[in-house]
Amino acid sequence: MADSILVIVEQREGKLNRVSWETLTAGQALAAETGWILEAAVAGSGVANLANEVAGKKIAKVYAIESAKLEPYTPDAFAAALKQFIGSKRPRLVVMPHTYQVRDFVPKLATAMERTAISDCIGYKKDGDKLLFTRQMFQGKLAADVSFACDAPWFVTFQNGAFRGDKVEAGVAAAPVETVNVEIADGIIRNKPQEVFKEAKQAVDLTQAEIIVSVGRGIKEQKNIDLVRQLAEALGGELAASRPICDSGWLPMDRQIGSSGQTVAPKLYLALGISGAIQHIVGMKGARTIIAINKDSEAPIFEIADFAVVGNLFDIVPPLIEEVKKAKAGA
Amino acid sequence: MKILVCMKQVPQKDAPLKLNESGTWIREDVSYEVNEPDAFALEEALRQKEKHSGEVVVITAGPARAQQVLREALAKGADRAIHLEDNACVGLDASNTARAFAAAIKDETFDLIFTGLQSDDYGYAQTGVVLAELLGWPHATIIMQIEKTEGGIRVKRELEAGYFQFVDMPLPAVLTIQSGINKLRYATLIGIKQAKNKPLRKVTLAEVQSAIGANMQKIERLYIPQKTKNTEFLEGPPAEVAKKLVEKLRNEVRIL
Amino acid sequence: MLVFRKPIPDIERPQMPADVVIVGGGPAGMACALRLSQLIDQHNASNPNSQLSKENIYVLEKAREIGQHCLSGALLDPRSMRELLPGFEKEAPLDAEVMKEAVYFLTEKGKFKFPITPPPLRDHGNYVISLNRFVKWLGSKVEETGITIFTGFAGSELLLDGDRVTGVRTDDKGVDKQNQPKSNFEPGYDLQAKVVILAEGTRGSLTKQLIARFGLDRDRNPQTYGQGIKELWEVPSGRIAPGEVIYTMGWPLTTKEYGGAWIYGGKDNVVSLGFVVGLDYPDPRVDPQRVLQEFKKHPLVARLLDGGKMIRYGAKSLPYGGWWSIPPVAGNGWMILGDSAGFLNSQRLKGIHLAIKSGMLAAETAFEALKKDDFSAASLSDFQRRVESSWIKDELWKVRNFHQGFEHGFWRGLINAGLQQFTGGRGLRDRYPSTAGYQHLKKLTELPADGGDEASLLGPAKGDGKLTFDKLTDLYHSGTKHEEDQPAHLVIHDTDVCNTRCIKEFGSPCQNFCPANVYEMVDDATQPNGKRISLNPSNCVHCKTCDIADPYQIITWVPPEGGGGPNYDGM
Repeated sequence: MADSILVIVEQREGKLNRVSWETLTAGQALAAETGWILEAAVAGSGVANLANEVAGKKIAKVYAIESAKLEPYTPDAFAAALKQFIGSKRPRLVVMPHTYQVRDFVPKLATAMERTAISDCIGYKKDGDKLLFTRQMFQGKLAADVSFACDAPWFVTFQNGAFRGDKVEAGVAAAPVETVNVEIADGIIRNKPQEVFKEAKQAVDLTQAEIIVSVGRGIKEQKNIDLVRQLAEALGGELAASRPICDSGWLPMDRQIGSSGQTVAPKLYLALGISGAIQHIVGMKGARTIIAINKDSEAPIFEIADFAVVGNLFDIVPPLIEEVKKAKAGA
Repeated sequence: MKILVCMKQVPQKDAPLKLNESGTWIREDVSYEVNEPDAFALEEALRQKEKHSGEVVVITAGPARAQQVLREALAKGADRAIHLEDNACVGLDASNTARAFAAAIKDETFDLIFTGLQSDDYGYAQTGVVLAELLGWPHATIIMQIEKTEGGIRVKRELEAGYFQFVDMPLPAVLTIQSGINKLRYATLIGIKQAKNKPLRKVTLAEVQSAIGANMQKIERLYIPQKTKNTEFLEGPPAEVAKKLVEKLRNEVRIL
Repeated sequence: MLVFRKPIPDIERPQMPADVVIVGGGPAGMACALRLSQLIDQHNASNPNSQLSKENIYVLEKAREIGQHCLSGALLDPRSMRELLPGFEKEAPLDAEVMKEAVYFLTEKGKFKFPITPPPLRDHGNYVISLNRFVKWLGSKVEETGITIFTGFAGSELLLDGDRVTGVRTDDKGVDKQNQPKSNFEPGYDLQAKVVILAEGTRGSLTKQLIARFGLDRDRNPQTYGQGIKELWEVPSGRIAPGEVIYTMGWPLTTKEYGGAWIYGGKDNVVSLGFVVGLDYPDPRVDPQRVLQEFKKHPLVARLLDGGKMIRYGAKSLPYGGWWSIPPVAGNGWMILGDSAGFLNSQRLKGIHLAIKSGMLAAETAFEALKKDDFSAASLSDFQRRVESSWIKDELWKVRNFHQGFEHGFWRGLINAGLQQFTGGRGLRDRYPSTAGYQHLKKLTELPADGGDEASLLGPAKGDGKLTFDKLTDLYHSGTKHEEDQPAHLVIHDTDVCNTRCIKEFGSPCQNFCPANVYEMVDDATQPNGKRISLNPSNCVHCKTCDIADPYQIITWVPPEGGGGPNYDGM
């Protein structure tokens, strides 16, 4: 059987988790690099339409792994189903997104197959014939290139945002879709999950935010924070602050970024009126894109910014809010 | 309720890290502390003991210095400790650590095993789930709340984007505990004193050697992540800068 | 609204009886514990029928780990360690033996090397050490002998009964910014001790309470202090040899300031360098951290550090007052050791060996007291006698007037020092008086607006980020961390003084003398001068400078929640 890469996408309640497109991008990149065949699978009950959605991308084949017992999600059912499927297909590489759900079953699945998973990777490299997977260690202070020291199948999970979901290549024609029914014996599933529900979180978890708009001393007064809040809302991001703002009580402590607050690595970090003292920088320098607006051209924040504006935030933020709203409205 | 808490000692959060000669691990001459997520797991276990009585046992796999983590746990109220003591424990991957734990506790009967969410050094979030599979127990991850029920326990599981879920589970089970769900208690002077007389069982790696195998993954290289930053300054009057920024947000950052 | 830390009143506190409580796990406290343990072991070996227990002997250390708050240059005179642990050199973590010394007088670009190293600064036979590592090692020996060291617990209040010290109260844990108990609140314990041994280091907070309560500074010279501010650097190899010692005087200080620098070569290409500034300078705008940055710009230093990396920063005050400032060191239920008492030889710039010796002598006294079960003032005053008949007295007597000689400027100080060399320490008279440092501070109206000759020492350093650093960047490398949600532990007794008087008279020198950016005057339109005092208590590195140097003496430093503070790894 030819070497293949199997991407397992994620769905919940009949909808594909959009991080799945990132995983497909990863799979496509790996396939191009290794020359292995790319296939994908979606597991659940009544997921044929989701498989069809995936089949629109550049991929050799898509499987709909079916069982009534796969709905709702339980680690027992998923591990059992996928063990069966992977056991028969024997891909070399199994790729998944590092979601809460994947974390819940992949180590179990890998162990049941006497294999291992390299989880939460941010990229990969090829070193001769060896595939190396890059991970952050020690909370992002160091990076590690990790290789497999066992036989295939190899399990890999990729971090949210490690690949661009919008860069996934469409297929020339729809890929073939095959439904695979799996047998999950009685007694396998031991957990009884109830309905999923939403709850207003007690504390904001900035580490999950993709967009963070952060404010520092340059905001001058507490009432000016409202302006920044409007920008955060317009962008669909979270509000955060440097230490002095939280110390003064202008924003709650759970919005603090820095060595005595939270460490974040969002897609976008917008720093307004923040000078960039090292205590703050260590909490956000892992952000993918950093934009800084500060009056002081020598502010250390500019050393780590991708885009910089030397100027008065009170002059720039209002038109910025307008432009963002226009862009979102599709102008 | 007999609860086992798996704990790990990791380099202190702010410790300046240096790479070793071969660039495959860090130099060990740093300060260490308990893995914070494990401290939350311990706190939850102690609360369960306070509610339902029982025993809390803590276990760690690590060099002699890791004993500190066990001592602190005993000082906070854990009843017994098990130390899988060997320098080589640092190099075991999650699968092998779980195997070593399973072997070390084979003669015990626990109702629950807790681990923290993940470790602050490796960050794999696997050991607890692997352990559950090895023991043949049900498990659940990222748990916020645990309640005793007729048939076992009902746990509250955290999902992404503000979603939660209750799950009913039989015992025994393995749970990985979410951080920040409780305020951590302080060890008291009396607790620290009493900890000295609590049982601490040492287990050598040789004793569990048959359970572990070669690591199935290998850190080929550990390094400081390089970032090449070319800062682009956007100039002009505010209205123009605003437009330029939006253009960047749309085309380069791709969030519009 | 600033709320200051205070023990929660009217609550029940757990009581714990103790024989001996040593407050402070630095060199003095650890040496005391170790020596006491040795004496008890010896006694128990030959007295099977009257065993003494170590069960109720405790060391309280506020840091999370032993040694974490210990900072010094440091050079260790091995004299007392050789008495405590003969052969200690074989197992103690020593960086290097001193093999080369040089003393320089610096001008802005030039240097003049002293042709002969002045005898007090001759260091052959001494060791370059990291005090942090040394105390860690010493602490492990104490623990091995079975004495309990409670880390993460501070002594927050003395327990008194009439004129007797009956114990120590530890810090309340889990108290929020408003001084209200949180859900994980743990009240401080009342340790009822037969004797409390204060080894808190420089400007101990319980020591301060004790001295005030019993007027122990009556008839003594007021204690005077310096601030030592230190950076640890990794430099390219070959720049400085392990065991190489350099002292400098002069630039960047003028004749009006007392102080100088040290540079010690450690092992593994690590250099310890720092500046000691006497906290008796006249211009309130002087910023010791700035002084250190200016010092590094001198070619002698810049060349040494070029291409290197600063790896750690810290600061601590040190007691300079000498023999005449040392209070009575024993009383009814108490003893004072080490820097808390002021056992420091300011001429040799060494105090660790004296701290260790004082710890040993206190242990001997405590041991006798344990045997007799007599902890009265009469019994404990044995410690005073031991100190006065030991080489501590011999050494400190010879330099008893050293620092005071400098009160009127550098050159007069040198002349006085010279005279003292020939008169066994006497100089012009038996006892030179001293004035507390803060009393030397001049008002802004009496000083040139631009700072005059001192201009380069005044105000915050900007730093170039490679050789020199601004205070916040330096502070980051002190590893200082505290539980954020707790009341401010820098107790300012009347913030109106800060906002209305000090700001005008002295320009709020707390912003300058604090090496950790704890104190800040922030804009406040409701205040008469447009500014109000604001604190960043979690930046504090526990140096005690504010308690010492504030011109109105309205700041009392109390220990924050145990476990918080700097992380002086390798310092």
